[in-house]
Amino acid sequence: METITPPPYATETGNFFTWMGTDGICRTITKPAAEIDLESAVENSNIVTALYKNKKFPLLVDSRNIRSMTKEARRHFSTNGRDTKITSMAILVKSPLSRVIGNFFMGINKPQVPTRLFDSESEAAQWLKQYL
Amino acid sequence: MILSGDNISPENSERISTILDVIMSYARLDFSRKTFISGNGDSIDALCAGVNMLGEELESSTLSLREKEQLLKEIHHRVKNNLQIVSSLLNLQSENIKDPAYLNMIVASRNRINSMALVHEMLYASRDLTKIEIGEYIKRLSNNIYLSLSKPDASIHFVYNIEKSYYFEIDKMIPLGLIINEVITNSMKYAFPDNKGSIGIGISDSDGTTTLLISDSGVGFPKGFNLEKDSNLGLQLIKMLTEQLSGKLNINFEGGTSYNIAF
Repeated sequence: METITPPPYATETGNFFTWMGTDGICRTITKPAAEIDLESAVENSNIVTALYKNKKFPLLVDSRNIRSMTKEARRHFSTNGRDTKITSMAILVKSPLSRVIGNFFMGINKPQVPTRLFDSESEAAQWLKQYL
Repeated sequence: MILSGDNISPENSERISTILDVIMSYARLDFSRKTFISGNGDSIDALCAGVNMLGEELESSTLSLREKEQLLKEIHHRVKNNLQIVSSLLNLQSENIKDPAYLNMIVASRNRINSMALVHEMLYASRDLTKIEIGEYIKRLSNNIYLSLSKPDASIHFVYNIEKSYYFEIDKMIPLGLIINEVITNSMKYAFPDNKGSIGIGISDSDGTTTLLISDSGVGFPKGFNLEKDSNLGLQLIKMLTEQLSGKLNINFEGGTSYNIAF
């Protein structure tokens, strides 16, 4: 599995590393066995929003190490009913567990921005470029 | 429940068993249990995560449904209470009225209001809050009207011919209740000069049509009565409400009076 290594300037929170890539795509990766609740989700989206500088941007989420995500966190990440600075979302999944969580999120919570699941970072980044 | 198979290790068999137990809890609308995600990211962990998330969503939907049911119950309760307040106000007002004609009008209005209040009372006590069983409604309504209109020495009996349960929603029950109220009231007021007799109420269905039949053993309509010209408010209401049900009204004057309403 290709891994994404956070750069030294990435912001670290309880469950995530988040940074703006040089290609204009924001990246956020979950730490191993991350259990995401609402507090953790809000903390993450605040970090993402703080990267906004006059132009909305696409977001690449590496959820391959996720262990669980609560209903409240899923609703929050769907960005429905709240202001968001992201134009689109690509979610990296690999293990059966991350696939189920990703598919559940997509199917039940229906994010308000274009969102797709990928198992390759390069394909995800390629897809996100159209939303730069 | 234990699953076994050549390809399932005892450990995984135990994990799957736990998942099935949790699913059964959800089927009983008990959402307190969750499956355990081991963290090794395998297919069983994926199944666990899916079941847990499904449980969370189901719990949320169930709570929302229960809240809506509670709200609907509350609305029916309040409508019933408000109608009863109107009925009580009419009662209070009638205490100062001496003219029997006005008094009759107030009693008739009060009974019409009570027939609607009974629909709401039965709706909030019903299981699904949308339909009520008309047989029970007819029995309660006819008893209420009897208590309201019968004279002390009266001997008027109700004969019910309702062989099975018929459930109707509020849009049908309100007009049906008012029709039944008017017909029984007419019989109680005019059919039995000697205060003796019987009123039969039946409901049946055939080929998608439901028929309400109310008949009395009384004296019938006065000679020369013209249904179009001489109808009182009660009869006009019966005709109007039958139209509201998209039904057909047939009144027969032989051997008493009978009202046949097919809808």
